[in-house]
Amino acid sequence: MQTESRRFALAAATVGAAVLALASAPVPAHHPVYGKFDPNETRTLEGVVTKLDWRNPHAHIFMNVVSDGETENWAVEIESPAELHLSGWNGDSLLPGEHVVVEGPTARDGSRQIWGETVRRDGSRELLFVLDPDFPVLSRQSRPAPRWPDGHVALGATPDATGDGYWGYPTETALIEDGVSVRMSADGQLADIDDAGRVAPLQPWALALYEHRQQRFLQDDPMFLNCKPPGGPRQYQSRLGLQLVEDIERQRVFVLLGSGNRNYRILYLDGREPVGQVGGDDDNPLYYGRSVGGWEGDTLTVRTVGFNEDFWFTNGGLPHTSQLTLTEKFTRVDFDTLRYEVTIDDPGAYTRPWSASWELSWVEGTELPAHICQENRP
Amino acid sequence: MRARLYSAAVILCALALPGQAQEGHPLKGSWIGEWQGNEVHDEFVVVVLDWDGRAITGTINPGTDNIEITSAELNPEDWTVRIVADTEDASGRAVDYVITGTIEDLELPNRYIKGTWQNGDGRGNFEIRRQ
Repeated sequence: MQTESRRFALAAATVGAAVLALASAPVPAHHPVYGKFDPNETRTLEGVVTKLDWRNPHAHIFMNVVSDGETENWAVEIESPAELHLSGWNGDSLLPGEHVVVEGPTARDGSRQIWGETVRRDGSRELLFVLDPDFPVLSRQSRPAPRWPDGHVALGATPDATGDGYWGYPTETALIEDGVSVRMSADGQLADIDDAGRVAPLQPWALALYEHRQQRFLQDDPMFLNCKPPGGPRQYQSRLGLQLVEDIERQRVFVLLGSGNRNYRILYLDGREPVGQVGGDDDNPLYYGRSVGGWEGDTLTVRTVGFNEDFWFTNGGLPHTSQLTLTEKFTRVDFDTLRYEVTIDDPGAYTRPWSASWELSWVEGTELPAHICQENRP
Repeated sequence: MRARLYSAAVILCALALPGQAQEGHPLKGSWIGEWQGNEVHDEFVVVVLDWDGRAITGTINPGTDNIEITSAELNPEDWTVRIVADTEDASGRAVDYVITGTIEDLELPNRYIKGTWQNGDGRGNFEIRRQ
């Protein structure tokens, strides 16, 4: 494995700059771009648009490219309509018959697909389908966290104080142990594979599996391939965010996800045990597990068990097992900031419990973007 | 003959089923395949493996032969596997299996283990695919 790691280190170094460029981008893609596209195989294509397929999770421009006298149809993958729309683009921003120039990495599988790193009309310098780095406009005001009449902090919107809004744009988008500094892309792709063992206290098999996933540029991510739910901490790593809807009377919090396959999770605060919540399904491990918790001051602490092993619980491919217990702490430190702290206790994959934390921002005045992973899947 | 037909039918059915995702420990799960040339326990084999965080445990042919795995090791350096299981044949003679192989297609839900089995003088190819 070490020899293989060294070989990969060279490859990783080659793409490192591109990966880190992606990491520094304010709005990276919804799946690991380099899992599908090879940054070492970039092309410039000129051609005529035949169709703009404006569907999530990623829009596609189809274009005819003449090569050696033959007309080839290429698919140009670009960001999701959910986010492009927020930056002012829509399905009519480019029309069939227009001449375009596209640059970007081509598909690893050799098919006629390219990631539209830059897209512009022929003869124009204006870049199309660029995400606005200034969106959303996040509040930088110093406002206290809103509270319910009983005094506890409101985790989401309240009818009188906050209006619409959701939590998004997390400060971390891949799990890494608190206190560890490792360069990785927003997708969790390590810039240096030799850092794999520093990300978390992995057991040997889990470290080797993590390295294997990294060496394959995260292309096996079941959330990308099969729209598997982003269970565990991953649900708080999506820029498309989530809503926390409190049902005070029924003592539960609904976590509504804005991406993936847009499903939900329930945090029970009524004192129950984390056992079968759906008619005695105790032996049915779940993508989101079974979550119970309660308030400790202004922090909601939630314990979750009962996970299945059918998904990646973080961007980047750190493994977990069904022995995973998550302890999550949600603290709305002020109106616009939600602090999320998670302790991972999984003796099946890690040598000791470990913790990670990050913050999410309140996106005010709007609901969750509609982004359905399955929308453009066969 | 009937056993072979049964085995073939089960294998075909198993191959027709999509593999259930398993993103945790690569060995955990149910595996179906063949240990070729095995005259003691038929050529068709089912292996169920589990991982408790410290040890790999499991059973070969659960329900029929119920051969308990006495030790199983995974070397993540090269994804090689070694499984040892001790049982008896119909006459009560000790049958000690040693299976060695390598996990192939590690990233796929229906990854497989390819290698060899041996038991005293008996030996042959071994291949099981995760279901």
